[in-house]
This record gives sequence, structure tokens and C-alpha cells, in this order.
Amino acid sequence: MQEKYDVVVVGAGPAGSTAAYAAAINGASVLMLDRRRELGVPVQCGEALSEDILNELKIKPDPQWAIGRTNAVKIVSPSGIEIRISERKVTGKVGYVLNRKVFDKFLAVRAAKVGADVMVGTYVDGLIIEDGRPQGVKAWGMDGKLEVSAKVIIAADGVGSRVARWAGLNTTLKLDDIESGIQFQMVGVDFESPSMTEFYLGSKIAPGGYAWVFPKGEDMANVGLGVLGSRTERRPIEYLRDFVARMPNLSKGKVVEINGGGDPVSGPLKKTVKDNLLVVGDAARQVNALTGGGIDSAMRAGNIAGEVAAKAVSEGNTSEKRLSEYEKRWREQMGKRLERYLKAKNVLVSLTDEEMDQLAKTLSVVKFDKISLMDMIRAMTKAHPKLLWKLKGLM
Amino acid sequence: MEVESSLCIRCGACVSVCPFDAIEALDSYVRPNERCTNCGICKKICPVGAIEVARKV
Repeated sequence: MQEKYDVVVVGAGPAGSTAAYAAAINGASVLMLDRRRELGVPVQCGEALSEDILNELKIKPDPQWAIGRTNAVKIVSPSGIEIRISERKVTGKVGYVLNRKVFDKFLAVRAAKVGADVMVGTYVDGLIIEDGRPQGVKAWGMDGKLEVSAKVIIAADGVGSRVARWAGLNTTLKLDDIESGIQFQMVGVDFESPSMTEFYLGSKIAPGGYAWVFPKGEDMANVGLGVLGSRTERRPIEYLRDFVARMPNLSKGKVVEINGGGDPVSGPLKKTVKDNLLVVGDAARQVNALTGGGIDSAMRAGNIAGEVAAKAVSEGNTSEKRLSEYEKRWREQMGKRLERYLKAKNVLVSLTDEEMDQLAKTLSVVKFDKISLMDMIRAMTKAHPKLLWKLKGLM
Repeated sequence: MEVESSLCIRCGACVSVCPFDAIEALDSYVRPNERCTNCGICKKICPVGAIEVARKV
């Protein structure tokens, strides 16, 4: 361990490890810190991922962490109307259900192998600020207290990011902007198909969110739900217990793990760059607000952040202006998409259970072999003109 | 705030809604620091109901 690095990454989730890898491979000296002694634990995620990002970053799926392949989606309305979509036919893509414990470790090892130093079990509790700019981090852990100076700090410290806050960016989430997620890993459950992810909507099931069943092999699944912080009237885990109890195919199963976490659905931070500092992943709220999925955006942003940080260090200019290349590039790659998902989420949470049922009824008779989202919206607004004012947010 | 450690899953959701930067989420436990005002917002987001907040006097 040195006391000086070009780049210090706080947090070793998918965003942090991808950033550390990209910074190291582009020639920077890198230290990545994480509070956890075992990376990937506790799991805070439904563990579903689209294959796109793996292709983009040329990461070969490994059966050790890519344990399920999914190519279809089932959405169930509050009254039980089912919509089935073959993802492969609609988008030409497939997804994976991950084992995050193995995946997160794999990404950290990948960074370490190209030269990044890693310190686990190390809690960052402050920034070193000189001349009004962050110049390093203060931390303590297994080896006592330490201070590490850095030319660039990458805040990848997740939904509860404090690093960005300490640097003067307001990241506090309002209860409207966060889903409280809880999940059981279950064994001995049945589902329609191991390659189908299932989503259940309804204010009784998961107010302002949804419940999910993501298969992990033949008889295991992640069964979880997220409820909007401002809508929940009970402890989220109670909604999940009720959901499982109502589903005969699930209630016969056994819970072998309980995990959970907050999921930021606010849309991305307005600003993700300061002098000597970049914010990535959940910390930057780079999340698909409709599904709550954030691994792909986190890795995409992390990859850009690491590359820009290393280049900026080599040029001897780590000012906000220089680092804003990161912000420009991630917004180009996914800014519009994330905005669109946020709009869709705002529409979804505005719908009553009855309205969701009406729309589901319309969509359940549509053949989804070749249909775009716009076609779906047109079909819905044609059948339900009264809902136009709500659905227009999708256009 | 007080955290019932037998329920807490150490996810840190509480940290993200705290307006006062008053929660420390470590690897093995979550606890408030001296900035906690017992406002109670963290209790609302906790997925497992592990947080209790002392009644304001």
C-alpha cells in the first residue's frame, strides 16, 4: 500500500471495479477501497442483467457467475392479467441472472490483475480537502487509520454515497426517489420457465414498485419486491411475506437467504463531476428508474470514468472542466435512455390498479413478436383515450 | 435512531435518505453519529424495520 495514488476508487461494486480496471489499464496507479471484507456481500440486488453490457466491455459470461439465461418476460397486472413478451424476438437480446457474490469478486479481481491495488474491510469516513478541492480520502479498517492522497477520486460508494456529499454534491434521496427493496433467495419453488423473469404489479403487492421472480436454475429463484419509500405503509418485508404466501408455487419453497437495499429511482444526478472527483453508478443515480436495474449503467459509467481519470492524470489536469468529458460521454451513451425510463416510471406510479388492469387487458391480446414500445403505447392510448393524459408522458 | 442489529441487513438504504449525513454503515453494523436528530426518515425506508427512533421531547 502506498500513501499516494493517481486514482482512488471508493466502493468495489460493478461501478467501482469497472472504473478501477479502466483507470489501471490506461496507465494510472489505482487504489480501490471497500467497507466490506467480502465483496459482493451482502447482496443488494435482484441480480438480473442484460447481455449488452458484457458485449460492450468484452467480458465473457462465465457460468460461475452467469447462472441463468433469460429470454422472456411475464408481467402480471393487479387482478392477474398476464402479458408475455419474448425478449429475444422483440429486442434480439437475452439476459442473465447473476450470482453477484461471484460476479462482484470477479470484477474486482479483473481490476487487480491489471494493477489496481485493493483494500477490503476499509471504511472511508472523510475526504482530505485542501484549497476547497478533494485531494484524497481518510479511512480506517483492519490495518488501523490511514490517509491516502489521490489526484482523482471516483465515488462508487453506492446508493448511500457520502463521498459525493462530502465533495458538495447533494445526493440525499427523498422518499419519492428511492425504492426500498427486499428479497428472499428461495429453493424448492416452481415457476413457468427458468428462462422467464416475472414481474407483478399492484398497490397491494408493492405500492409504487413491483414484485419479481427471477429464476436461478431449475428450482431456485430470487423472489423480491421494491416499494416506493413514500408509498409504503408497512415494513417492506411484510409485503414480501404476503406476496410469497399468496403464491402456491412460491409458498412451498424455503428461504435460504434474505437480502435487500435501497434503489435510487430519482434519475441521474444533475452533476457527476467536481474538481478531482467523479461520481459513478448508484452513487450517481445512474439507474433505470422503471426497472430499478443499475448494473449495466454502473459498468458503462465506470468504464468511462476510469478511462477519463487516467487520461486526465497523465495530462496533469484533473480540473472539473477536464473531467467533464466523463459526464459528456456517459450522457451521450445513456442519458436519454435513463430520462425515458424515468418518465415511464412516473407514468407507472401514477396509474391506479384499475388502470393497470385495463392497459394489461389491451396488451395481453397483442402479439409481441415484433412490436416497439411506441406501438404498445399507441395500442394502449387507442383503447383507453381517457388515459391519454397519463400515457403522454411516455411519448 | 437505534438499529436492532439482529434485524439489520446492513444495506445502507437509511444512509441514502438521511438529510444530516448522520448514519455510518459499516461492514458489520450500522449506527448513528453525533449529527442524528432522530427525525425518523430512515425508519421509513428500512426494508426490514430494524430502525427505531426515540420520541422527540
